[in-house]
Amino acid sequence: MSAVALLLGLLVLSYVGSMLVSDRTIRGFGLPSGAEYLLLGFVLGPHALGVLGRSLVSAFEPVLIVGVSWVALVLGVGYGQIGSRRLRLSRALSGIAFSAFVAAGVAGITFVALLEGSELGLAERLLVSGAAGAVSCETTRHAVRWVAERHGSRGELSELLADLSRTSVFVPAAVFGVLFAAAPGQELGATPVSLRVGITLGLGVVLGLVATLLLGREFRRDESWGILLGTSLLAIGVTARLGLSPIAAAFAMGLTVSTFSPHRADLKAMVAPSERPVMVPVAVLAGAYLDLEAAPFLWLLVGAAFAARLILDLLRAGVLALIVPQARAAGPALGLGLVPSSAFTLGCGLLAAIRIPGAVGGSVLVLAAASVLAGELIGPLSLRRALERAGDIVPGRPFEQPPPSIEPRASRTTLYDVERS
Amino acid sequence: MSAPSGAPKGVVTRLVQAVSLVTVFGLLYGAARLAPPLREHLGEIAAIGFLLLCGTLLSELLETIGLPHLSGYLLAGVVAGPHVLHLVDHHTVERLSPVNTLALALIAIAGGAELRVSMLKSVARSVAWALLLQCAIGLVVMALAFLAVSRWVPFARDLSIAPLIGVALLWGTLAVSRSPSACLAILSQTRAKGPVATFSLAFIMASDVVVVVLMAVVMTFARPLIAPDGSISFAAFQVVGHEILGSIATGTTLGLALAAYLRLVGKHLLVVLLALGLGLTEFMRYVHIDPLLSFLTAGFVVQNLSAQGEKLLHAVEQVGGIVFVVFFATAGAHLDIPLLQKLWPIALALCVVRGVTTWGTARLSSRVAGDGPLVRRWGWSGLISQAGLTLGLSVVIARSFPDFGEGFRSLVIAAVAINELIGPVLFKLALDRTGESNPEAIVARPSLSPVAVEGHPPD
Repeated sequence: MSAVALLLGLLVLSYVGSMLVSDRTIRGFGLPSGAEYLLLGFVLGPHALGVLGRSLVSAFEPVLIVGVSWVALVLGVGYGQIGSRRLRLSRALSGIAFSAFVAAGVAGITFVALLEGSELGLAERLLVSGAAGAVSCETTRHAVRWVAERHGSRGELSELLADLSRTSVFVPAAVFGVLFAAAPGQELGATPVSLRVGITLGLGVVLGLVATLLLGREFRRDESWGILLGTSLLAIGVTARLGLSPIAAAFAMGLTVSTFSPHRADLKAMVAPSERPVMVPVAVLAGAYLDLEAAPFLWLLVGAAFAARLILDLLRAGVLALIVPQARAAGPALGLGLVPSSAFTLGCGLLAAIRIPGAVGGSVLVLAAASVLAGELIGPLSLRRALERAGDIVPGRPFEQPPPSIEPRASRTTLYDVERS
Repeated sequence: MSAPSGAPKGVVTRLVQAVSLVTVFGLLYGAARLAPPLREHLGEIAAIGFLLLCGTLLSELLETIGLPHLSGYLLAGVVAGPHVLHLVDHHTVERLSPVNTLALALIAIAGGAELRVSMLKSVARSVAWALLLQCAIGLVVMALAFLAVSRWVPFARDLSIAPLIGVALLWGTLAVSRSPSACLAILSQTRAKGPVATFSLAFIMASDVVVVVLMAVVMTFARPLIAPDGSISFAAFQVVGHEILGSIATGTTLGLALAAYLRLVGKHLLVVLLALGLGLTEFMRYVHIDPLLSFLTAGFVVQNLSAQGEKLLHAVEQVGGIVFVVFFATAGAHLDIPLLQKLWPIALALCVVRGVTTWGTARLSSRVAGDGPLVRRWGWSGLISQAGLTLGLSVVIARSFPDFGEGFRSLVIAAVAINELIGPVLFKLALDRTGESNPEAIVARPSLSPVAVEGHPPD
């Protein structure tokens, strides 16, 4: 397949993705994580049909870097806003703490497992286990939204889950900021890791402030696109060129804009619809990038990480049950309902595979893909059961759109509906 | 092309823009000091971001002194480019060619969609006379000018008279080419409506086609003059004929399909335009069809055979608002400053002659066609800019005549650099002076319909 044909194919997929966020789509159509596109990419990739060769996929690495980092920016811009309400700081902090708890637990368990089951050195083991934790700690907000839209779930637990899932992306973005800075192959010479992390975040924050200043007091939609694209591409490009984490820089930039700009709601409405169209081609290319023989310890890593995640999510549900009465009613299904990851996790794994090629990056990508697929199988059904038990889903209740507090479908004013904007 | 939107911007906004510009430059400079690899190769992603941001900011700041946005984009590219700050190197500029491909496709679609049959009818007489006289007089005068300065032109000074005449004819042909992209960029920024804008747009779009045909004719007759063993071969006409007819046929089909899509679906136009601009362009090149002419035809068909023209224009303007900044900034980075330093006296002399000839011929053609005073006085202003089309034709000449081709191309690049910098400024000045600029417009500029022309004070 030629690069042009692949490009057209990706654009068609992007078109399909953009159809899924428009207002006339079938409610709940498509899987929350976009796992079907991951499988499509795997089938087309070098390990199955061979339509997409590795070198061809590699030629699209800049597109992948921009795509995944753009989604990080979108998540940063929308961070702390659930529909029309602002997220409470306590909720945000507990969401981050829960997510960090899972990440640390998974990292610790995989570190111990790799100690016995691999011949990796300490630095590589730390990298792999840290990345394993980062790609295992996100709960996708799309799964919560998917259940909410399909089954009309409404209530205290639904809102809590929406908050926790929205805040969980902070941890993978931050962890990858550290891991990329610590991984060999970065271009900053002998500078300490802390300085490299500082440069990553500083670049994102400074360019976020520049964007905020340029966006000004009056919201001008056309100009806003140019400003956000220009500043974000600069942040993404410079960090990627230096071997630092473009995900962390873009997320920091989005967070800065979200914190300081008076147009945060408009900006969120403007960029949010671009998430799905961007992630669909990324998921396909990630599928083609998968190497199931990336490392001898691969399946040990996947098994240990997933088992650890299940246990830690059940523990997380247990802690929630102690605090929130509705969570108590939901039972263990709530823990399993927290398992699904989004295509953002997959994107993080993909960028790790690009940044740290070989056994480390390859195995992290496979783990991310496995996490997405397994989460898809277990998560939404468990979540539905948990919400039914908690009384948020009432069988037979007439369907209504979920309240904005859960996470409504992105604004109808989409990037693609040019005539409306 | 950043179009004006809403209220004029105050001092504070300009100050913020200036501080942001300095911050971005400082940030990148500091990063390059800290990490030497950045100095060698910034990378495509960062280069696009940098050109987009700095092009936008610089254009906004230059707006305060009356310069067009296009000049800001070009200047950002020149400053960031390989010959000044080295932030964007040659390799990166080459790697950004897909952006150029997309931008050219969008420019052609927008150009076609701007041409309404009724508008063309209203300026047909003016455009026809201008095309005839600009091509004929321009070609002859510029060929003579080239002959006059040839003793100072490195690659031409040792040529005997017959090859020299052949080369001069090629130069004359290139000199009558214009820049649709610069014209559309200025019209998009100024939202201009009126006789000068209408005439310039119609003339430049029509001359785009005429110059391609003219080049084939001149190359056919110049070949035996330049190469002693060469002979007149009409095979080139067959190729050009096939290319033009094929392009029009493809463009018509594409236009009808696009109109149907806009009517039946009408959504996700960004993805559709990306697919057309990037994917279809490659396919057209593969089957030897001119993408520019095809897209021009497609835009024309959508505008004139359906009711979807405004929707298409609006979509292109939205996508182009970002793509064109990078396109022109990349063009700025492409400018070969050392070459310009070397060839500027000859290039400048030739540009001055071209400018004077264009001005004089425009006055003459306006008189013959009976144009109004505005077109008679300012009709020439949009015809000075040269850019992609001229450079593309110079590549064709360099390939066809390898003995002197590279030297010839260098001189073309130097001349285009001057025209590219001066032309847009003159055109914007003319639109401002004639009162056709409409910077307060907050909605997309409607295409240049005869109504718009009639709505203007009598020309």
